[in-house]
Amino acid sequence: MVGRDPRPRWLQVGRAWLYPRGRRLGGWAFILNRLSGLVLTAYLLLHLTLLSTLAWSPAAYDWFIELMSSRLVLLFDLALAAVLIYHGLNGIRLTLVGLGVGVTRHKEIFWAAMLVGLLLLGYGGYRLWGGM
Amino acid sequence: MIEMRVFRWKRDQEPRYDHFLLPYGPRTTVLDLLEVIRVDHDPGLVYRHSCHHGACGTCAMRINGVERLACLTCVADLLKEESRVIVEPLNGFPLLGDLVVEMTPFNERLAAVGLPPLRRCELPGEPPEGGAVQLEDCIECGACVSACPVAVTDHHYLGPAALNAIWRAVEEPRGLDVEPLLDMADGEHGCWRCHAVFECSEVCPNQTGPAEAIMRLRQRLFIRRLRQLLRGGDGHGRA
Amino acid sequence: MGMDEGMGGTGPGRYARTDWGWLLQAATGLGLVVLGTVHLITQHFTARKLLDYAEVTAWLRQPWVLVVEILFLGTVVAHAVLGVRSILLDLGPSPAAEQRVTRLTLIAGVALVVYGVGLTALVVMR
Repeated sequence: MVGRDPRPRWLQVGRAWLYPRGRRLGGWAFILNRLSGLVLTAYLLLHLTLLSTLAWSPAAYDWFIELMSSRLVLLFDLALAAVLIYHGLNGIRLTLVGLGVGVTRHKEIFWAAMLVGLLLLGYGGYRLWGGM
Repeated sequence: MIEMRVFRWKRDQEPRYDHFLLPYGPRTTVLDLLEVIRVDHDPGLVYRHSCHHGACGTCAMRINGVERLACLTCVADLLKEESRVIVEPLNGFPLLGDLVVEMTPFNERLAAVGLPPLRRCELPGEPPEGGAVQLEDCIECGACVSACPVAVTDHHYLGPAALNAIWRAVEEPRGLDVEPLLDMADGEHGCWRCHAVFECSEVCPNQTGPAEAIMRLRQRLFIRRLRQLLRGGDGHGRA
Repeated sequence: MGMDEGMGGTGPGRYARTDWGWLLQAATGLGLVVLGTVHLITQHFTARKLLDYAEVTAWLRQPWVLVVEILFLGTVVAHAVLGVRSILLDLGPSPAAEQRVTRLTLIAGVALVVYGVGLTALVVMR
């Protein structure tokens, strides 16, 4: 074996996973799934950490809830909901296709999933904004 | 005239992109231009080529970021989308120099899996006695591996070409024992590492559908595992 | 590890161990579609506002709620941990490093679940 790649390893990985040039639908869906997964994992850790206010005292938790009820936070909630909805619906597509169902129609399934997602997000936005 | 940027690298040098301004006609291919560069501009440019008509898979490389066969890629078609042509070697293979990559591990992996050379085919009209067969469509160009984000960063992963070959053997065993191949595909570096990106199927010059093959393999292996769990068999599909 | 080594060894022996990661990921994902929806609806959409301390405590003291929430915690942590493991495995670690990745992500997952269950117990039993 005499060959090697002159580029640094982090660049190889970055280009392989995130570089958008020449990507088609499946490639974009993959990038977004990976990024949304990381965002949701970070949120999970943040959420579990912030819930520790439950252990401090009722007053501490109620203060935290008051903070989380502001319009700005609700906007973040909606953005997070969009990320979650994308990851969940694309995940359902990956599960179906990944077990050999609808393999030749994976693009159509993606767009159908996104349509459902848009409707869910619209409803979620309505409930978050109007209800709160 | 067209602006062409070609990736250049030799050992002990920094990688760079050389720029060339070249004339072209309505049927000029990227491979034609590479030959013009080698003959008229820089004889040090190294690249692989053989049949010049898309049957051997030798000239696979990345052209404007997408894996293609250079002999079949018409410059005029590329210019419909972009104003210049960028030529780079395949991803995921060790580089030997410029546009040439080391194909030996790829070939060895396909040899280990056993690349089935024949497959059933449909012909118009009355089929001949015993059905019709054709030569396998996969030309082992490596484009699928280069397009796969997993194969490029994880060199243990079997990859789309090998998994496609396993599926074809499973589909039409022709007397072959497929259980060891199914074990290979079911392993920790087999078909379960695929992330359903489907870029491999998009770039395959012969539409062999490696992604579809991987998904079908998974279905087969999933059912095999369920049967094992229900019947309490060993880990290799044999009760 | 790196591109210098090119593709790993070939031969059936190397691939003998099966991989359950993807199937578990899919199963937990589908579980989350149900449990996550239930969690979001009950925690965020039932009242006109976010639940305060008293409401959360009263809610968690119902046995079926407790069971569902703990199941949800376990499932979401498993899915997240499997996801992180999958990303790390994509880097092509050696067999020893791969075992370390699996072990570390498993430990992190268990730790998160223990923390969550502990916190819930604290709230419910106060």
